[in-house]
Amino acid sequence: MEGNQLWILEKENFNEFFNILKLKGNINAPVKQGTINAFKKVESPEEINLDYTRTMIPPKKYFIHPEEVIFTFDKKEEKYFEPVFAEDTIVLLGVHACDINAMNLLAKVFMEELPDKYYLERRKNSYIIGTSCTPDEYCFCKSTNTAFANEGFELFLHDIGQKYLVRIGSIKGHRFILENQDLFDEANKNDILQFKKTEQERLDQFTLELEMNGLQNMLDISFDDEVWDEYGEKCLGCGSCNLVCPRCRCYDVQDYFNLDLSTGNRVRKWYSCMLKDHGLVAGGHNFRPTTRERIRNRFNCKGSLREDMQNCVGCGRCTVYCPADINYVEVMKKVRGVSIE
Amino acid sequence: MSKVNPLEPIKARIVKNHKMTDIENLITIKFQDLAYSENFSYLPGQFVKLGVMGVGEVPISICTAYDKFNDGLELCIRNTGRVTNAIHNLKVGNILWARGPYGNGFPMDQLEGKDLLLVAGGLGIAPIRGVIQYALNNREKFGEISILYGIRCYDLMLFKDDILDWFRNGDETGIKLYLSYEDEEDEMCYDLECERDDRCTQGLVTKLFSMLDTPSQNTVAVLGGPPIMYKFTVMELEKLGFDPESVYMTLERRMKCGVGQCGLCIVGTGKSIKYVCKDGPVFSLWEAMNTKGMI
Repeated sequence: MEGNQLWILEKENFNEFFNILKLKGNINAPVKQGTINAFKKVESPEEINLDYTRTMIPPKKYFIHPEEVIFTFDKKEEKYFEPVFAEDTIVLLGVHACDINAMNLLAKVFMEELPDKYYLERRKNSYIIGTSCTPDEYCFCKSTNTAFANEGFELFLHDIGQKYLVRIGSIKGHRFILENQDLFDEANKNDILQFKKTEQERLDQFTLELEMNGLQNMLDISFDDEVWDEYGEKCLGCGSCNLVCPRCRCYDVQDYFNLDLSTGNRVRKWYSCMLKDHGLVAGGHNFRPTTRERIRNRFNCKGSLREDMQNCVGCGRCTVYCPADINYVEVMKKVRGVSIE
Repeated sequence: MSKVNPLEPIKARIVKNHKMTDIENLITIKFQDLAYSENFSYLPGQFVKLGVMGVGEVPISICTAYDKFNDGLELCIRNTGRVTNAIHNLKVGNILWARGPYGNGFPMDQLEGKDLLLVAGGLGIAPIRGVIQYALNNREKFGEISILYGIRCYDLMLFKDDILDWFRNGDETGIKLYLSYEDEEDEMCYDLECERDDRCTQGLVTKLFSMLDTPSQNTVAVLGGPPIMYKFTVMELEKLGFDPESVYMTLERRMKCGVGQCGLCIVGTGKSIKYVCKDGPVFSLWEAMNTKGMI
């Protein structure tokens, strides 16, 4: 059996698949809540909305918690204590390729050089099942080359009509198929053809495009461009774009005493480069005092490369959830000198 | 995979707390864990994250050369925020928490064999002092050492003993220290100016360049100071024909982690994103010229 063997999961077997997957740990999947979708713990397949485009908050929340205790301390004992890492396996079902690619980028920050213990413990305990999606008018992952996930998941289910074509992304995924052989059939030539066809149809549905070639250099020569005045003026500096971005990972660290004034917690929380104090240093100097500098910093950070991947996966969240209607692709197009009608 | 948690604070004890000015103390700490202490080594220009339990952590540059580490780690701390205020309230024997060292530090091996021109403004002398100590401890490896130090007034002069010693007796060790002061009314500084009017003047640190003999082709400039100082100092250095690769500077940014995760110290454009904490805080002028927004 080859590692890249393709399998078929009949849709009628999805409930069975869900039940077996549940044995690995609590399943978290996209659930429709009012007008948005959110990754939530689910008990049954009926709760899941696999037909979603994007959740508001990306699945990064399972690996870098919006707020988490990184140490507890005791002033009487003069000691810091690491929290106990006894978390259950995190099973994510229904993650789209853009978010998987974003988590792969986060892994470069948190798991290379000096690995972050908190991220690492959760990630190695995770079980990620990807699912295919249909782009809407805000999706541009085709441009960012993140419309397809090659790694960073256990299994990836591609909807090809009556069945799912299943790709294996890791040894854990390989083992899952081996252990549950009766649930899967080997994909035949027709299935593969059908997969290729639906993939192409999906790619053809993208309406939004952003030229990525040379974007880094365009950003560099646009440092003093008017585009930052224009959007800096528009931007409210609220930081929503950072919270919904699957790749944003800035964090703040704060110490809190408990009421006994001896014990307490060192807490790390999501932070935002759009907030005024992000670039503020002691003595009052602010390296990014206005929204102009801050929005420029954000777009340059997004457009920069980490090895061969840029820090934006084209999920469209920052555009969809911006209260000032700042459109990411539109800004980048202006950076490129493309006129916007 | 490493089991070490890079964010874990290490216990240290304050062995000396010397008040240097109204707002700056020189605090000397020693790590409690001897094994940790033995493995701790650093270059001038590197920094530590220094913390007070329940208050928080701040990045502080180390202001001694590693040769002096056995006497403890010296940190010059200005009382300017919540954490530094808490540190100022501590006494000898109290516990402080530190982790590091972080950052690249000055490339001392590349500085060897060169004449050094060190330019510092205010608190910027702290990381530069390690360079001076390093050069003095390895005196034969360095050529002429010139220091330009700009202060606001005599009362805010840091490392007074060192500075005045280099000012008065520097010729014996081959150090020329030039001093500038901003406060026109400052009598103590005026006295120093009367003492050596070829080495001391009222004005900004850039004014001292006119007192310098033309630096040799073999000179490397090292800068430490507030952002505004870099802009004007670099203009002077360019006039003197300094190559962008023979000018080094150390930068300040807000930092929470020190290890390239928290994202607060990011500078640059899409082409040149840098983390000041791990790619710096020491950068050459050439790097600064290619990283917009750095200075």
